[in-house]
Amino acid sequence: MTNAQLEIQIILSLVAVACALPGVFLVLRKMALISDAISHSILPGIVIGFFITQDLASPLLILMATLTGVLTVVLVEYIQKTGLVKEDTAIGLVFPALFSLGVILIARNAGDVHLDVDAVLLGEVAFAPFDRWMYNGIDMGPRSLWMIGTILSVSMIMLILFYKELKIATFDAGLAASLGFTPIGIHYGLMTVSSVTTVGAFDAIGAILVVAFMIVPAACVYLLTTNLKKMLVGSSLVGIFASITGYWLAHALDTSIAGTIATVLGLLFFMVYLFAPNKGYISQWYKTKQQKTEVAMLVFMLHLANHEDERERNINHLQEHINWSKQRAKKVLRLAYQNNMIEVKDEVINLTEKGLAFTEKAISYISDNKNSELEGIKQNFFLFRG
Amino acid sequence: MRKIITFFVLFISLIACKPSAKKENIKFTVVTTTTMITDLVKVLGGDAIEVKGIMGAGVDPHLYKASEGDVTKLSQADLIIYNGLHLEGKLVDVFEKMNQMGKQTIALSDFLSHDQIINSEMFASSHDPHIWFSIENWKTITSGLVKALSKANPENKDVYQKNGAAYLKELEQLKTEMTVVIESLPRKKRILVTAHDAFSYFGKEFDFEVVGLQGLSTATEAGVKDVQRISDFIIENKVKAIFIESSVPKRTVEALQASVESKGHEVKIGGQLFSDALGNPTEETGKYIGMYTYNVNTIVNALK
Repeated sequence: MTNAQLEIQIILSLVAVACALPGVFLVLRKMALISDAISHSILPGIVIGFFITQDLASPLLILMATLTGVLTVVLVEYIQKTGLVKEDTAIGLVFPALFSLGVILIARNAGDVHLDVDAVLLGEVAFAPFDRWMYNGIDMGPRSLWMIGTILSVSMIMLILFYKELKIATFDAGLAASLGFTPIGIHYGLMTVSSVTTVGAFDAIGAILVVAFMIVPAACVYLLTTNLKKMLVGSSLVGIFASITGYWLAHALDTSIAGTIATVLGLLFFMVYLFAPNKGYISQWYKTKQQKTEVAMLVFMLHLANHEDERERNINHLQEHINWSKQRAKKVLRLAYQNNMIEVKDEVINLTEKGLAFTEKAISYISDNKNSELEGIKQNFFLFRG
Repeated sequence: MRKIITFFVLFISLIACKPSAKKENIKFTVVTTTTMITDLVKVLGGDAIEVKGIMGAGVDPHLYKASEGDVTKLSQADLIIYNGLHLEGKLVDVFEKMNQMGKQTIALSDFLSHDQIINSEMFASSHDPHIWFSIENWKTITSGLVKALSKANPENKDVYQKNGAAYLKELEQLKTEMTVVIESLPRKKRILVTAHDAFSYFGKEFDFEVVGLQGLSTATEAGVKDVQRISDFIIENKVKAIFIESSVPKRTVEALQASVESKGHEVKIGGQLFSDALGNPTEETGKYIGMYTYNVNTIVNALK
């Protein structure tokens, strides 16, 4: 591995963490697309910066871009706060307006200058190791490493200092207000950090990957845990993992680094979506299936409890009476039997004592209809699940 | 959680410890950006040097996306040659910085004097980067590059000078041939309408009036007013054909054609010109001379 390759991976990992931290809060606040919005809305800042300096390479252009980014989030936050429109609508109202302002400024005043976001922000991690910071003739390392390192340290410090406030403001704005600090201040702070991170990360790695780094790791861990601390650490790890595997995949295929990392992130999310315990697709499908059999068993036991007549309870005639397929009847019967709810005597099915108690409890549940209680009842009675 | 983090640290340090596989290359290695430059350096160096172009055929240099292999190419290059004048976007800044750090980089635009470069009308500090469309410019660049290459790699000095002298003759001949072809077109008819402002140098050299639908940047789009203004211009001057470009989508040019037709006149699409990149390297248009001849023939045939 050459130095350049190592530096690229370090930069990618730092950007991944720097994006993942605000990303978790943005996803929780349903503001995830703000990073995409910023990638467009910084254009007028760049254009105005160019009109002032007349130089595409001036750092003022990046500064103006950052300011426009902050302006974007302030406007979005303000519109959203009015409560008149939803979060995504607020984002959608602000960024097209700013972006088109930039386009108009270019079309009217600078039609023959190569002026766009790509011309000012580097946005290509493959070249990051060659854009180095020289101090007094000494090579201090890649410029974007310093920039993203600074951004990451600042947002880490902010996160540690305001962790409690951020947590409450994100999950319960009302409580935050009643505790005496304004969630609005925290929100503006979070959005400003997100905006600065986004612009800095654009310069280091490019627009698409920044959006992916902000949203995908946070979305992955959101399916795995509800613990905020675990989400923050988890999404950072997902980001770093995708960066490094994506980088080597790009190496093997000789293709765009940002492209492969974003693809790896997409695949990771798909895997999590399929296999996550509790919220995953497979787990959900299994649960639904389980519940169906269990409900069927309950129906069956109510039937038994309600019918004194032995003919109705004969094991060979069940299908006729409850109108089930043979397969289904077998499954339900087995579940009830395994759980010691029924006993079979001379081909006649009887409820056991346990079965009777369960049925009674279940009836009282049905009358007041509390879901949590049913799960509790099942926990107490079941040895095997459906 | 702690276990996962430990695993991660191990995972990363494992990768970090992978021994580096450095290939020793004996030949002088030159990395170039656009296809025009790749062609020129290959002509000058022949088999004596290794030339690696990072942009392929038909790639718009403004919107070029790097691949992982470019990292190794750039870090192992003995010399990097690029166009300059912001043609390669932010990469130009990167190359300038690499130069300050001791890596040899050459911007072709540096070989040209001020009056050989076309400035932006609105901002004096901005320039038109499509310098290769002037054969005279390309000749200046060839001579400059021969000197620069001889200095950077003195072992192959003779090769560069021999190939350079031969290529200058070829370019001279190209200029003569193209002048003959273009002279067959009356001055009145020398109006070139294309998708973006890439052909100003061509126009200056051969006395064409050049009208670009989009601005210099391929990212902005043509305004409705631009389309109206240019379609009036086409009708007024009885322009017979307009042109699409290899590296710009043809949508806007088709819109212009539709606009002219809606006013009851006719303009045909004269063909596809090579603007910011050469054609497929295996074909004639994959070389500078072939590309230039193709462009001129396409233009003259369509406007006749």
